[in-house]
Amino acid sequence: MNDRLKALYKTQILAHAKSPFNEGVLVNYTHKLQAYNPVCGDQFDLYLKFEDNIIQNASFKGYGCAISKASTSVLTKHLLGKTRSEAKALIELFLKVIDPENNESPESITSDDELLAFTSAREFPERLTCANLAWEKVREVL
Amino acid sequence: MPWIKSEFPIFETARKEGRPLIFLDNASTTQKPQCVIDAIAGFYAGYYANVGRGLYWPATAASSGYDQAREKVRVFIGASSKKEVIFTSGTTDAVNKVVNSFLLPRLEQGDEVLVSEMEHHSNFVPWQHACQSKGAQLKVIPLDAGLNLDLSKLASMLTDKVKVLAVTAISNTLGVKNDLKKIIKLAHQYNIKVFVDAAQLPLSAKINVQNMGCDFLAFSGHKAFGPTGIGVLYGKQVLLENMSPLAYGGGMVQQVTIDKTIMADLPTKHEAGTPNIAGAIGLAAAIDFINLVGVEEIGKHSAELRKYAVERLSEIEGLTLFAKDAKTTAILSFTIEGIHPHDIAAFLTEKGIAVRAGHHCTHPLTHKLDIGGTVRVSFNIYNSEEEVDFLKNTLDEIKSFFL
Repeated sequence: MNDRLKALYKTQILAHAKSPFNEGVLVNYTHKLQAYNPVCGDQFDLYLKFEDNIIQNASFKGYGCAISKASTSVLTKHLLGKTRSEAKALIELFLKVIDPENNESPESITSDDELLAFTSAREFPERLTCANLAWEKVREVL
Repeated sequence: MPWIKSEFPIFETARKEGRPLIFLDNASTTQKPQCVIDAIAGFYAGYYANVGRGLYWPATAASSGYDQAREKVRVFIGASSKKEVIFTSGTTDAVNKVVNSFLLPRLEQGDEVLVSEMEHHSNFVPWQHACQSKGAQLKVIPLDAGLNLDLSKLASMLTDKVKVLAVTAISNTLGVKNDLKKIIKLAHQYNIKVFVDAAQLPLSAKINVQNMGCDFLAFSGHKAFGPTGIGVLYGKQVLLENMSPLAYGGGMVQQVTIDKTIMADLPTKHEAGTPNIAGAIGLAAAIDFINLVGVEEIGKHSAELRKYAVERLSEIEGLTLFAKDAKTTAILSFTIEGIHPHDIAAFLTEKGIAVRAGHHCTHPLTHKLDIGGTVRVSFNIYNSEEEVDFLKNTLDEIKSFFL
């Protein structure tokens, strides 16, 4: 298999895609969002539970490729315990990590392995919408 | 067929890390033989001018090229007159034009339009939109367990209320072929006009609109070795004559006064504005190429490759083939359990294999099948068994990486 592409799918992504974090419907949610990519048909329902301005719980359910599923899984995991402004900052940071136009090295932006796992998306502009699908959707409600 | 493949320059130029392009997305569009590229370049470089009006020599040559293209199309689809051949920008354009000029003025509240469950969005959405705007009903002919059109259900849906039945010749997702002659015969018993989406047909079987009996038929040039932006709408002469123009403007008139306009005769009446002259000339060259190789030959070659792909891909555990027994077409869809179609396509492209993954613009169908999408391979005259073997081996590698 091609090394360049293997790098994109490296262990972190495959691991999250195979056993996603908090996959399922959240009963006591405060926000339900639908992240949908009409180009490929990927579709996730995202559930957030805000309490005292803090995201107490997050989950997702839906259908998508390994990249979009893993990135949604990582998102729900990283949102936990964050305030609105912290969540917003996290999303801005992640979008910088995967932004092909960004010249900063990803390692200078974050040291978090789960976020850095998506760095290779910079090389695959056609997969950018897979990596940022759920993140862009959550950004809209913060 | 090596000599045929060498006619397509892209296979020399578009290499991926030294590997040649394996183009298995022919249902989406086809590659272009040198003769088509030359015909278009030759027109622009040698006798370019507008058609219809100019009295100087490049204009007469351009007009004659455009007119000859129409005659080639007429013979290609077996129409009885050039008046029945209207150039459009493609299949989608043709559907929209028939909806606007034929259906809408005749559609009333309570009327019905029939489409099938396997339609491409382009032969679904325009009819749906028309029905909703008039309070008419769009009814969907279901598929049977074998994913073929359920003809007994279809028969029970035919009534005097149905104004148009729109159906594809070949499903762009499943590769199943519809029995058009039978469907048209059934529909005509109720005086229902039949529109055939022939987008996938030109390289599969010889088209003969008279034998088929359809009222309208449309296809795109680019799916048949021709350029993008040119397509054909066939309509029975009496229908085209009684329809209002598909578009209004210059070129389609006989006489214009402040009070009224007298329209030109067929086919000019339906072709307002400067047409896609280079597109028509390119399409004519594509038809010459198809005739040189033979439609039957191309269709047979692709169908044999599909059959071979069914055999080879069946060896992969966890791989599901859709409509695997569909015969004489070039299109095959599959899924692999546990791997999303887009992930498969992403790895295939790294090996130089171009396929399509997703819904293939057939949401009603993928919804019925309850799948998020498929990987679709579709063959053409330049594909080979070796390419199918390479596809199979690459799928094995992808499986071992993911699972």
